[in-house]
Amino acid sequence: MRSFSTSTRRALATPVGAKPPHMKKFQIYRWNPDKPAEKPRMQTYDVDLNACGPMVLDALLKIKNEADPTLTFRRSCREGICGSCAMNIEGQNTLACLCRIDRNENKASKIYPLPHMYIVKDLVPDMTQFYKQYKSIEPYLQSDNVPDGVEHRQSPEERKKLDGMYECILCACCSTSCPSYWWNQDEYLGPAVLMQAYRWIADSRDSKAAERKEKLENTFSLYRCHTIFNCTRTCPKGLNPAKAIAEMKKEMATA
Amino acid sequence: MSVTRGISNIAKRGLHTSPATALQATKAATQVATGSYVEGTVNDPTRFPPPNSAHGSSHWAFERAVSAALVPVIGASFITSSHPVIDGLICSSLLVHSHIGFDASLTDYLHDRKFPKIGPIARWSVRGLTLGAAIGLYSFQTNDIGVTELVAKLWTA
Repeated sequence: MRSFSTSTRRALATPVGAKPPHMKKFQIYRWNPDKPAEKPRMQTYDVDLNACGPMVLDALLKIKNEADPTLTFRRSCREGICGSCAMNIEGQNTLACLCRIDRNENKASKIYPLPHMYIVKDLVPDMTQFYKQYKSIEPYLQSDNVPDGVEHRQSPEERKKLDGMYECILCACCSTSCPSYWWNQDEYLGPAVLMQAYRWIADSRDSKAAERKEKLENTFSLYRCHTIFNCTRTCPKGLNPAKAIAEMKKEMATA
Repeated sequence: MSVTRGISNIAKRGLHTSPATALQATKAATQVATGSYVEGTVNDPTRFPPPNSAHGSSHWAFERAVSAALVPVIGASFITSSHPVIDGLICSSLLVHSHIGFDASLTDYLHDRKFPKIGPIARWSVRGLTLGAAIGLYSFQTNDIGVTELVAKLWTA
């Protein structure tokens, strides 16, 4: 598509709609594992916003394609459904593909990897612990009464309980924005994994709610949540992990 | 440095020909072998401590109950002024409330698993301070004017 459109424009006698360059600075966290002795640094790139898509991911791709192929980051779907491009942009954890570029050219945009994570390279954090924690809550249906030959039945009300939880794409923006998760990542599960834990506790088709709750009966796994609400504030999908955690605490205290 | 070790652990995943051996390896052994912060292999789930509701839901419910109780108890002290039962309730619930609060911040920031020396010292210091405060409050309550009267005096002073 790109080559097609440029050749069309070239075919015209006078360029149409050629905008003057709108240069914007991006300061991006760089760290190279091949040179572990070198400290991480911020590298500045200039991007012409008039020759770039509207989102931060567009700018990153433009930098990688045209300025510096060594810049490393994860990306896949470019439409906020895969959760790969989670990073800290202007101090807020979000998905680069859903975050518009601030058009103010006087202020540089600062881009860091997700905070308080081990870094593989540049903007790529090591998600191993996060995925191991997700695995620990057994995030799949465990039913004692599997209906024979038909689907599991669920009323519209029961199904409605899962809305706002099943949409989570596990980008880890919320968990890595949580101070409790920063300090106690080895033991505390963090908002993303806890919301998924509750997603299965709240599922009417699942029969292991009691066992799932019992796992969380300790000082760290669940109860390091101090209702800080950073998770809900930062979620790029507009979900509310803090509410799910509060519901779970309430259920466990009363039941 | 643990970062690079972590990566080498991931990269080594393909070399694990027998998962059974990897699972049998103890936590210490695997951590020494790979030098990674990751416990076990990358495919093992994280583990949970043995369940105990005294550290979980009961602790949480008790903490909330004490915090909620403080509101009517302090409210009542404005009406009754100095009453021995209300004073006793204020002293004990405030004491428990602040002890749980300090204990929670120690669990967050100075837990034994990360601070094997300072952790226990801090924990026992808070216990000692709470006990001291309990004794102090008891003698202040029995030998002197008591907390409600003290606040009333400060209010007018």
